[in-house]
Amino acid sequence: MTDSYVVARALSKSFGRKSVLESLSCDVQPGDVVGVLGKNGAGKTTLLELMLGFTPATSGEVRVFGHDSWRLPGSAKARVGFVPQQDELVNQLSVGDQIRLIRSFYKSWDDALVDRLVRLWEIDLAERVRSLSVGQRQKLSIVLALGPKPDLLILDEPVASLDPIARRHFLEQIVEVAADGNRAVILSSHIVSDIERLASRIWILKDRHLYWHGDFDALRDSIVRLHVRTAATLPAELEIPNALRIERSETGAMAVVRDWNPERGREIAALVGAIPEVEPLTLEEIFLELHR
Amino acid sequence: MFILKPHSGVPIYRQLLEQIRRLVSSGQLAPGTPLPSIRELALEHAINPMTVSKVYSLLETEGVLERHRGKPMTVAAQRPGRAPVASRRKALEPHVDNLVLAGRQLELDLDELVEALRTRWEKTDD
Repeated sequence: MTDSYVVARALSKSFGRKSVLESLSCDVQPGDVVGVLGKNGAGKTTLLELMLGFTPATSGEVRVFGHDSWRLPGSAKARVGFVPQQDELVNQLSVGDQIRLIRSFYKSWDDALVDRLVRLWEIDLAERVRSLSVGQRQKLSIVLALGPKPDLLILDEPVASLDPIARRHFLEQIVEVAADGNRAVILSSHIVSDIERLASRIWILKDRHLYWHGDFDALRDSIVRLHVRTAATLPAELEIPNALRIERSETGAMAVVRDWNPERGREIAALVGAIPEVEPLTLEEIFLELHR
Repeated sequence: MFILKPHSGVPIYRQLLEQIRRLVSSGQLAPGTPLPSIRELALEHAINPMTVSKVYSLLETEGVLERHRGKPMTVAAQRPGRAPVASRRKALEPHVDNLVLAGRQLELDLDELVEALRTRWEKTDD
């Protein structure tokens, strides 16, 4: 994997005695759009900060463009764009000056893109950053991250304060980044529907570990709901392997299982006396089932 | 051109795949019709371009679509004037699966299912 954009190996992080992340191993390839999901406090921001080199690993490592993230050289830093959860804008500056400031740090900058987005999102260049609404500050943060056309774009709850129209524009920008097969995106967001549209890979952080890291399609194929609607044939004790949850009613049973594949249908049919109906789950439903 | 519902639980690639197959089989997308570029379709529906790319490649392998260097993908010429039976049957599969499942759940037998099918079919004979 010498061409990986990010590689984490047994990455762990503790703050004092509090362990936040334990032994995470995952990677990001060019062309990936990684959706990061997890409850509040699951360690999503910490994981992103480790990848950005904002904080050192307690053990294990994470490499970005081949370099230890904690010692990222300037040339590599210039290829990473970041939208933080709490913006880092300078309140006293005008929007125009704020843009010029960030622009000055980079050798290459897409003026046309920045101009277009500023106009699209109706951000007044003359306005002071301090008078911008929360939504506008978020939009500006996104624009600033996109300006240098980073190869790796990392976003931490970038659209929490945006209305659906602005969010749609944002999604289109991510599509553009994804359409360039040589760039990658890591998006941490509670707006599961956004991740559902865009992600090719999913990371689920749960209990300090990566519960899932892999293809989104594979995740959807793996975790499904099974329905059996003939109560008559069900055994008294229902034991379905790899079931996350089983519910019985007068009319039958429902089970949420992981590691599903169609061959298991026959195995389940033998157990319950009927071919189960397989219901695919939305990403939100998968997330909720994993946290019941 | 397409109706995609990203949050229905059915993977987007499967929705797009089945829709294109169906539209081509039924002749609604005639041979030679250009398809939107991967980027255009992805932008229009705000979905990952790789999903579109996967579907287009699969359909190219199936002979449903044709690739042309530097030009949009088009619907391939389907022999003779409409899609071969095999690909039309394939497009029908998900609907048949649903019907079979419904029949089983309602504890009907095959004859009752066929009878129901025949009745509805004949109703549309005009």
